[in-house]
Amino acid sequence: MEKILDKKRIDDWIAALDNWDIQGPVLEDDIWSYQPVSGAVRLDHPNTKQSPKGLAFPQREIFFKFEQIKGEAPRLTQVVPDEQRHAVFGVRPCDGRGVPRMDLVFNDHVEDNYYQARRKNVAYVGLACNKPPSANCFCLSVGGSPVSTDGLDVQMTDLGDRYFVKAITETGKGLMAAAGKLFAEPSAADQKQVKQVHAEAVAYPQRAVRNVEEVPAKLKASFKSPLWQELAQACIGCGICTFLCPTCHCFDINDEVQSKAPLKGIRVRTWDNCQFPDFTMHSSGHNPRENTGARLRQRVAHKFQYFPENFGMPQCTGCGRCISECPVGIDIINVVNKVAENAA
Amino acid sequence: MINIQDIRETARDMLTKGEVRAVIGYRRGSRGMLAEPTFITSAEQADELVWDPTCFHNLSLYLVHDRKFLAHIRKNAEAPVAIVAKGCDARSIVVLMQEHYFKREDVYIIGVSCEGTGVLDERKLAKHLNGAQASNVAFDGGDFVFTTAEGEKRLPAREVMADRCLECRIPFPREHNIVFGEDKTGRQLEAPFAALTRFEAQGTGARWDFWSHHFDRCIRCFACRSVCPMCYCDECVVDSITFPVTTETTAEDKANRIRWIERSAVRSENITYLMTRAMHLAGRCTDCGECERACPVNVPIRLLNNKMEREAREQFGFEPGASIGGPSLVASFLDRDPGDFIR
Ligand code: SF4
Ligand code: SF4
Ligand code: SF4
Ligand code: SF4
Ligand code: SF4
Repeated sequence: MEKILDKKRIDDWIAALDNWDIQGPVLEDDIWSYQPVSGAVRLDHPNTKQSPKGLAFPQREIFFKFEQIKGEAPRLTQVVPDEQRHAVFGVRPCDGRGVPRMDLVFNDHVEDNYYQARRKNVAYVGLACNKPPSANCFCLSVGGSPVSTDGLDVQMTDLGDRYFVKAITETGKGLMAAAGKLFAEPSAADQKQVKQVHAEAVAYPQRAVRNVEEVPAKLKASFKSPLWQELAQACIGCGICTFLCPTCHCFDINDEVQSKAPLKGIRVRTWDNCQFPDFTMHSSGHNPRENTGARLRQRVAHKFQYFPENFGMPQCTGCGRCISECPVGIDIINVVNKVAENAA
Repeated sequence: MINIQDIRETARDMLTKGEVRAVIGYRRGSRGMLAEPTFITSAEQADELVWDPTCFHNLSLYLVHDRKFLAHIRKNAEAPVAIVAKGCDARSIVVLMQEHYFKREDVYIIGVSCEGTGVLDERKLAKHLNGAQASNVAFDGGDFVFTTAEGEKRLPAREVMADRCLECRIPFPREHNIVFGEDKTGRQLEAPFAALTRFEAQGTGARWDFWSHHFDRCIRCFACRSVCPMCYCDECVVDSITFPVTTETTAEDKANRIRWIERSAVRSENITYLMTRAMHLAGRCTDCGECERACPVNVPIRLLNNKMEREAREQFGFEPGASIGGPSLVASFLDRDPGDFIR
């Protein structure tokens, strides 16, 4: 299904999606983030600071509540994600491509009930990048593209005063059908323009990981390379690169005790991060990934070697967030290229 | 004006003579005009050193990393490490020495004066550049001059400088082995604590709303702590590694272990984290601004640290990082202290 939507009518489309929670890019405190929007949706954002991964995989997920009154059996109450449906508008193609990668981890490899319960209620309405919004975009070199539809339910393309709107999935068709009257049939000129815009988007020069298909073997041969520590020397071990990444999915599970007598608390899953020094710290004090080099290797090799070995595709979608936001200039494109170049 | 060749020459010379193990400085990174930390160990690398208004980083953090590494491999330092340090960075080094983290002779301070300027604030700059990317920046004495694809763009320094630099009382590294650039102390463009004073002009209600909003936004990536040279504790209050588990450890022990701060990034835990950190920095934070710069979601952390700094200044006339032999705020007291609990 391909349609044309007058830009001025996007708010009417959103209004028609009345049983959906609408998330759109909002500029607040000088950063863009996905937030619930009601009236006007702005789609003039570069990419958002955080990816939309939190809708299906929130930073904090309560699994169950526990309670034990002395002398009685412990009581567990499962906390089930609510059934609210979310439609996220303005998803960039690289973040769209993050979705099937997260699905592989939580739906395919193992079945994670909490992820599935949320994921089935999220629809991703993408916005093609007519021009890469960041100098660190590198989607083209990792199998993606500024006009990729992978992972999206709808793809929108900005044609100046109107959007070219294309349904990719059944869910996407449903979203469009909910406001069928707002959409017009695209003319031959519209079709021509969208082709042209997409062709220009793809032709726009980007930074690049070189020969991505050869990278897994090269990284495999470089496990012991001294380059890892050299390249990671400045790393401070924070959570920025992984928390902002659309495909990082490591988590920790803890019991948070809220009262000791009676014993009461919750079991929670929270995002965790392989760059924290204590991520692999054993209780003996031994840490198998003992320096920033070993930890950078984990992050990079997971994206460019282990994931391709397991699932046949790089996990990184080239959004460039980890590069733009690293406070000390660690640059995943450089790291991959340098290590691969120097592989035995 | 600082001539970068002089800094390079100093580094080259010391490395050639084997006077230092390494020089920690700045080099051009792969992200447009931005500098990044570099660790050079051979004279040939000296030419990669740069000095410009994107040298934000407080490199003294890496002196802390180096110390931790040496402790880990149980070795003593064979030679000092040289480090490029701005005024605020040099004051951090002084605080670390006051706290006996390392000795004066372990460090060779290559001081750089900020002269008439300071470092850029990337957020302020982004607003002015409006999507354009700068590939280079230079300071010509009054303006920053940016090179972009659309041509040269000039911006008055005070519009794009970091708040801390606008308010900086001493933009000069008084503690140094060698120093480049003139001491332009007294050139501050804003009164000390100006941003804090503006903030505090609001009522309590507005301030609470402001902080509630920001405490809710923190994603607990701990970049603010991890980038801070003063946050050197082996086990930070937020870490969960303090609990040794043996075959004897029971489930009850595990459940009852002390956890000051839970992992959930929710307001209560975020407040505890950020307030604890601010308290731990009183008299130690030299306002290098790294925590606020590193924060990916723009939590205005500097206001918290500034508040503690001003408190120490007003109550005790305390200036963090003023001199190596001087007292440290929390490890000293005044005979004339009005509180009798301390005497
Ligand atoms: S990486 Fe590609 S898809 Fe992502 S924002 Fe940049 S151009 Fe768009
Ligand atoms: S690579 Fe950068 S963003 Fe990632 S942990 Fe290291 S310092 Fe933080
Ligand atoms: S690894 Fe970096 S560039 Fe790749 S998807 Fe994650 S944040 Fe984006
Ligand atoms: S705070 Fe002062 S010494 Fe530090 S960078 Fe700014 S002007 Fe220089
Ligand atoms: S205040 Fe910012 S840098 Fe610090 S933990 Fe929170 S989000 Fe991270």
